[in-house]
Amino acid sequence: MIGGQGGDGTLTVVNLLGRVFRDIGLNIYDARNVLSRIRGGHADGVIRASVRDIHSIGDQVDVLVAFDEEAVQAGLSDLSETAVIIFDSSKGPLSEGLRKPGFRIYSAPFGNMAASELRRNIFKNTITFGVLGRLLGLDDELLKKVLIVRYERRGKEALESNLKALQIGLDYATKNIGRNPYSLAPASNSNKILSTGNEAVAFAFLASGGRFFIGYPITPATDIMEWLTPRLPKFGGVVKQAEDELAVINMGIGAAYAGARVMVATSGPGQSLMTEGVGHAGEAEIPIVVVECQRVGPSTGEPTKNEQSDVNHVVFASHGEFPRFVIAPGNANECFYITSQAMNLAEKYQLPVFLLLDQALCQNSASIEPFDLTKLTIDRGKLATEEDLAKLAVFKRYEFTEDGISWRSIPSEEGGESQVTGNEHNEFGAVSTDRTNRLRMMRKRMNKLELGKKDLPKGNNFGPKTAKIGIIGFGSTYGPIIESMEQLASKGVEVRFHQIRTIWPLLEDDLADFMDQLDVVYVVENNYQGQLASLIRSSVSDLKRIESITKFDGSSFKPKEIAGAILSGLTPKVSA
Amino acid sequence: MTKTVPISTPIWCPGCGDFGVLASLKKALAELAIKPKDTVIVGGIGCSGSIHNDLECYGIHSLHGRLLPTAIGVKLANPNLTVIAAGGDGDGYAIGAGHFIHALKRNPSLVYLVMQNGTYGLTKGQPSPTAVPGYEGNVEAPFDAVMTALSIQNTTFIARGFSGNPAQLTDLLKKGIQHANSLKGFAFIEVLSPCVTYNDTYKEWREQVHNLDTEPSYSSKSRVMAFTRAAELLSQGKIPTGLIFTGETKSLENNTLMSKEPMALQNLSLATNLQRYEELLKDFR
Repeated sequence: MIGGQGGDGTLTVVNLLGRVFRDIGLNIYDARNVLSRIRGGHADGVIRASVRDIHSIGDQVDVLVAFDEEAVQAGLSDLSETAVIIFDSSKGPLSEGLRKPGFRIYSAPFGNMAASELRRNIFKNTITFGVLGRLLGLDDELLKKVLIVRYERRGKEALESNLKALQIGLDYATKNIGRNPYSLAPASNSNKILSTGNEAVAFAFLASGGRFFIGYPITPATDIMEWLTPRLPKFGGVVKQAEDELAVINMGIGAAYAGARVMVATSGPGQSLMTEGVGHAGEAEIPIVVVECQRVGPSTGEPTKNEQSDVNHVVFASHGEFPRFVIAPGNANECFYITSQAMNLAEKYQLPVFLLLDQALCQNSASIEPFDLTKLTIDRGKLATEEDLAKLAVFKRYEFTEDGISWRSIPSEEGGESQVTGNEHNEFGAVSTDRTNRLRMMRKRMNKLELGKKDLPKGNNFGPKTAKIGIIGFGSTYGPIIESMEQLASKGVEVRFHQIRTIWPLLEDDLADFMDQLDVVYVVENNYQGQLASLIRSSVSDLKRIESITKFDGSSFKPKEIAGAILSGLTPKVSA
Repeated sequence: MTKTVPISTPIWCPGCGDFGVLASLKKALAELAIKPKDTVIVGGIGCSGSIHNDLECYGIHSLHGRLLPTAIGVKLANPNLTVIAAGGDGDGYAIGAGHFIHALKRNPSLVYLVMQNGTYGLTKGQPSPTAVPGYEGNVEAPFDAVMTALSIQNTTFIARGFSGNPAQLTDLLKKGIQHANSLKGFAFIEVLSPCVTYNDTYKEWREQVHNLDTEPSYSSKSRVMAFTRAAELLSQGKIPTGLIFTGETKSLENNTLMSKEPMALQNLSLATNLQRYEELLKDFR
């Protein structure tokens, strides 16, 4: 963990370390804890490295770099009993109250050293990078290489100063750190790539023929727009920042209607504004993918913190009744393939599809297998060409068909002229309040929820089939849950995990298969009410078996918290 | 030939100004020989927002207030289309006012046709943003969309017509469509289109309209002159009509679209672009 004030360069150290870890073939996972302000305020970044596949920040912090006391205070509850602390004592020594007996503390005025040797306090971050490198037993040349890669394009002066800062750190380490408390052995994961969920979503959109992205800046969704902005135009696409989310969704609807592959992305507050538009897309049968990057809510909430409290918000968004799919990938790798799938589903079923992410999944980086572009497919559904239309005696945009889906034309096609509307309409799209027509149109649209089930992503199951205890979770809880299972297994407790990926419509058969042999199922989610648990209760008959494990303090679950909750829940059941 | 959606009978009351607008719009499209297959009419919500049902075209009925973002989405996806957004003043200047301001500054090449009548007719006569003080208890100032449009520095086409003057209206619509279709930008045309049931203003408007097209010294190319003359006329209790302002600024499409191939019609096949996509993978290394 690297902590200090916003602007101290803490995240730079995280990025540099990440590069080094990856160069020696380790898997990494990193998370950042920042405030919703440009500079100042406590900020920290956490990076974890492992020879194993990891999708969580784990349970404890082994090494802390703290640029002030606040950073030690903030990290204290996460520090292991034997943590190493590299403390910048420029403003005075670390208070006794923050020193625990098992800690090993290397304290020096790194900020003052930077200021006197390099004239700028900011180089303290590179100094500590050097100290850290030595502490972890990393090769000095590797540390230099990483600095060169990062700083050579920023000019000679920047690079030289940083190299000097590194040397100051290394010299400090030579004098003060006798032996290396840790050593990192190279591993063999060098083929892995590093991606956040947001980056994976953005890339999948582009590679799946997504050409029009519309957004309004909002944390934690903005990275998707930022990733696409320099890249999409090179492929003939457009990234448009609109005046608000009302414009975003409706511009998306216009473009999708006209034939482009469209995605919009937002967070809970923006989704509140998009709600009416999503219902409109459902009624008018417009294919559109809406990425909902959840954060702490309601209202402005905590924009930079993690929560999964918009399950109900998207599953029940908008007045009236209409079909929508809600799909939730669990890691950056899945974000890639499921985004592509969501685009196909939207066009195949002509409806809005939500990709439900959460802040941790959106913004934390993980080492993952490289994206396999050859696995992507593009299915535009019943999008009629002019030749298709010419074969029809009559073209009705909302025709009742055997397969339940109507042909869709796009403007400029001869014979495809039609009326598309959010009013209830007849098969031609003409406004209608005829009761028989209303019944048929409602059934036609709502039936897509049944039709889609065969194509919607099933849950992934992990753990032994003999287990009697189950866990269900979605999104970023995937990583912590997987690790909690290992902790439970080491205590002799078998659990089985269903990583649910389609939240709406619930795939009842898939759930029933999973729950069949289980005595109890814990639904793990980052919200107060246990929203997913409530949804699942609505689809299963034996309600007693569903328990909730919730967390809503703005941070992600730690594996030990999930394992602990299950162990404590187990005690009374065993004695009873 | 494939049979497509039948044309509806307008829902308007006999004598409604919108009949005049519909007639002029049909005439303008016909005279410019624009095919129905290439015409997208985006309707708003309200009496006027049903106009797309009443002629041959691709029609899309947007949400209340959202016709401009919808129309911009259509136009960006396929700039070869003739895109006409048509709605009322409640739709455009109240619930959709934010989009109006941003469309003006964004300059998308589409026609925005606002049928202005000072009232919410469909909900039976509440004051709309253009209502004069005293109408149905209204105490607020009427919104003047032409003055607002003039105040935004990159507007390119501002006009006002009157459904009581179909020849002028047809001419303005033709010019507006041509402006938009040559990707010059946003053609904003407000039409005074009385609601004969809840706010019959035919008589007042006939007396108030002042056709700037007939003033020999007036030049629509000067924003200063347009602003000054419009403000003078308003202060005299008159309503300026005609082609009020034309300017030249890069349009949204010319600013935004990097490919000649419309997004809606591009070949998206994975195989075509696979190599270039593989290149992007490097950004994840």
